[in-house]
Amino acid sequence: MNSISSDVIRGYNDTIILFLLLQHPSYGYEISKQIKTLTEEKYIIKETTLYSAFTRMEKNGYIESFSSDKEGSGKRRTYYRITDYGRQYYKDKCSEWNLTKEVIENFILKEDNYGSNQELS
Amino acid sequence: MEAIRNYLETMFANLPNTPEVLRAKNELWQMMEDKYNELIAEGKSDNEAVGTVIAEFGNLDEISEDLGIWNVVSKTQDITRRKVTMEEVKRYLHESSNYAYKLALGVFLCISSPVGAIISDATNISDAFGILFLMSFIAAAVVLFVHSSITMHRWDFLKQELCTIDFATTNYINDQKERYSSTYALLMTVGIVLCVVSFVPAAIIDELDLSFYGFDMDDMSGMILLVLVAIGVFMIILSYTINNTYVNLLKLNNASTVSGNYVSSQHPETKYISPAAATVMSVYWQTITCVYLMWSFLTFNWHYTWIIWPIAGIINGVLNSAFKKQ
Repeated sequence: MNSISSDVIRGYNDTIILFLLLQHPSYGYEISKQIKTLTEEKYIIKETTLYSAFTRMEKNGYIESFSSDKEGSGKRRTYYRITDYGRQYYKDKCSEWNLTKEVIENFILKEDNYGSNQELS
Repeated sequence: MEAIRNYLETMFANLPNTPEVLRAKNELWQMMEDKYNELIAEGKSDNEAVGTVIAEFGNLDEISEDLGIWNVVSKTQDITRRKVTMEEVKRYLHESSNYAYKLALGVFLCISSPVGAIISDATNISDAFGILFLMSFIAAAVVLFVHSSITMHRWDFLKQELCTIDFATTNYINDQKERYSSTYALLMTVGIVLCVVSFVPAAIIDELDLSFYGFDMDDMSGMILLVLVAIGVFMIILSYTINNTYVNLLKLNNASTVSGNYVSSQHPETKYISPAAATVMSVYWQTITCVYLMWSFLTFNWHYTWIIWPIAGIINGVLNSAFKKQ
């Protein structure tokens, strides 16, 4: 099993995080844990990547941060929630991905056809 | 957990102390702490948990671009600060405390040097004894001063060069300073009290006109006074010098240069309205001490020269509020 190249996934970190924030406001570690679980540990997001995405999206107005002690653990964390603008951005990113997928699919061979492509050409 | 904190502090050590950087550090720390706690709760060993957290931390370049601190990073890298290691700090603290003892002992010897002369005077022993006693005390004090300051020369770079200490070392120094604080307070208080009440035994003896086996106690009262002052000053110098070592080490890192290592456990330096005011204030207490000693020794009116201290204290307060920059 290949690991995911960080160059490829970079453009979709925002989509991943926004999807999770659509369910409910959340904080850094919870998001990174959910990504790990949902992808069955195939993608583990780095802390710096996650923080970088948070600051960038906050600057662009897709998400807002607030400090809260939701779990009542006595520890205040920075939570993030999605904005209306962020929802719109998420929808755009989804259709962008669908288009990308459609386009790239045209050029992807089934694994057992790798050899036959050579014969065709 | 300590290992993770050190790792994070090291990563941030060269970044400036801007709000963005501090925020990034806090956020990253939050995430790392959460992850570590969960890994431990899952039954992982401390080593495994630390390993995983550090492996999944990522790369700081990623956020330096986002935070716009990339310029600052390359700028501060031009200034190389000498890193002072934990071993050096421990050795420095050890040698400084030796230095403090020698310095304080030297001053003690200087102040108590006339004691021999007083004894010889009171007991009709040859005056030569008194002179010999005085000279040998002063000589011993000079040896202590010279020797101790030479041994400290090799630490001059701490003052002359730009230095920095890492987070773990800063914590260590801070711990040591905290541990010393009660001793410091005790020595300071007792030292000051001794100096203030030093004239009391002399005054009592003077009043009662005691004599002891044909020995005129009146002559001895000056000796008791000197010894009390000498002990008090010994305590003050010793505790002040040692405490100052910690403070100076902690000052190596400051807010404008290093974000990771800054421990804000220091008092901001007092700023005065003009250089002249700063000069006056810096020599204020030395001048008062000088005046006090001269007046006292010239007139031997120790029973009322002490009045200089409360008055000087009040004047100091007035000058401070007039000269200090808000």
